[in-house]
Amino acid sequence: MGKQYEIPLGAQHISLLEPLHFKFTTENERIVDTQANLFYVHRGIEAACCSKFKFRQVSFVVGRVCGLCSISHSTAYSQVAEKLVKIEIPRRAKYLRMLVIEMDRIHSHLLCLSHVAENSGYEALFMKTMQYREFVMELLEAVCGNRIQYDFSIVGGVTRDLKPMVAEIILKRLKIFLPQLDELMDIYKNNWTLSLKNKNAGAITRADAMRLNVVGPFARAAGLAVDVRNETEDLLPWKEVGFEMITETGGDAYARNILRLRELYISKRIIENIIHGLPESPLVTETKAFPDGEAVARIEAPRGELFYYAKGNKTQVLERLKIKAPTFSNVAAMVEALNGNEYGSAPAIIASFDPCLSCTAR
Amino acid sequence: MKSFFKALLNIFRKPVTVKYPSEKTFLPDDYRGLIGFNEDLCIWCRRCEMVCPPGAIVFSQDLEGKQTYHFSRAVCIYCGECVRACPKEGAIFQSNEPANFAVKESDINNNWNRLFDEALESRIAYAAEKKRRAAEKVVAAKKEEESKTVT
Repeated sequence: MGKQYEIPLGAQHISLLEPLHFKFTTENERIVDTQANLFYVHRGIEAACCSKFKFRQVSFVVGRVCGLCSISHSTAYSQVAEKLVKIEIPRRAKYLRMLVIEMDRIHSHLLCLSHVAENSGYEALFMKTMQYREFVMELLEAVCGNRIQYDFSIVGGVTRDLKPMVAEIILKRLKIFLPQLDELMDIYKNNWTLSLKNKNAGAITRADAMRLNVVGPFARAAGLAVDVRNETEDLLPWKEVGFEMITETGGDAYARNILRLRELYISKRIIENIIHGLPESPLVTETKAFPDGEAVARIEAPRGELFYYAKGNKTQVLERLKIKAPTFSNVAAMVEALNGNEYGSAPAIIASFDPCLSCTAR
Repeated sequence: MKSFFKALLNIFRKPVTVKYPSEKTFLPDDYRGLIGFNEDLCIWCRRCEMVCPPGAIVFSQDLEGKQTYHFSRAVCIYCGECVRACPKEGAIFQSNEPANFAVKESDINNNWNRLFDEALESRIAYAAEKKRRAAEKVVAAKKEEESKTVT
């Protein structure tokens, strides 16, 4: 047994993009114990939503919780508020929401993959992935009008319609994207340099994943079939548009990379199906009711299950709003998965978890 | 080996990056830009002010009752909710012109909070003035009636 050293990583670190602090206890370069420290960026958004803003304006506030899964947050809140005021949204609005969520998933997954590549020391692949990601940002800008904060989902429906011209551009651009995705799949699967840092790094077993209640790609890469899209059918009809569950068995960073890339194929198929079968109906259901009672809504954000709880008391302002972000569920397993790995590969492993601290700390 | 030749070929390829300030980037037709206001069409219902999430629109009122529209492009989040709420088409609209960067002191959220408070105060002052005038009118009418009955 060698001497044990304590090495901190974060809260600001060159390779760590999120304000998350780890304290590793290492022994011969190998991590034996990990402590995680969160909540550096607490912004008090929940309190603001329950005091300053009216319930119709909150969907714009929670859209600013996170820059990457903005649409997931505003859609989840919209669903909660629609349950509270008891309205059913038009069918076209449901399809448009799913369209933007899936496009958001493409850009979020590619961003995560590029960061894994960068933190593994493969800068060229980082640039390549980012280059291939750019098209979906432009398409989101064409659909929603904004590049990052979409402001697309509101209480009762969506703000704007999909133009036929934009739909054509999306289909055309997805056709160009398919060979690029194949190329990325080839690199992430077969590149020897990348596999040195990613194979067997940050591995977690299926039993551990189940015990620690892991969600999202993290769980699916460990062989656990958890996906909100597979479970709920009443709010957004995912099965109609060709959703398919994907699982990997490895549980390591390599399996997570491959899982994310394979999910992109499904996302592409869902987008094409939605555009081909977009139903005709109005965009918004207007109502003058006030929120009353309690409700919960779940949605599959790119990182995992996003949970919203809201309580209304027949006034314009909500009484309580609770957001549970996917990273919050994953932190315990993240700490578990880091143990036993080399300290040098810690940045790549942390990037492969795809932690989103601005969602978690709100 | 294949990737090595690819890397060599990349030296002669055109770069993907855009030289941003000199070259224009992709901008869709219905980009969410600055909020415009048409005073001739406005019916002064203040619905845009009510729905605006960050409070970037406010109406001030002078003592005569004339309202003035104020808009802060630094506070605005460009969600377009005011345009959706407007009952009169074209009175408030969203152009596809992007907002400028805040380089001048006047462009930053310097005076907005003060302006916002002043606008709300001016409305309260107008309401008080209106009440005072109404009371004056009642008093004048009463006096007139009294004088009539005396004669």
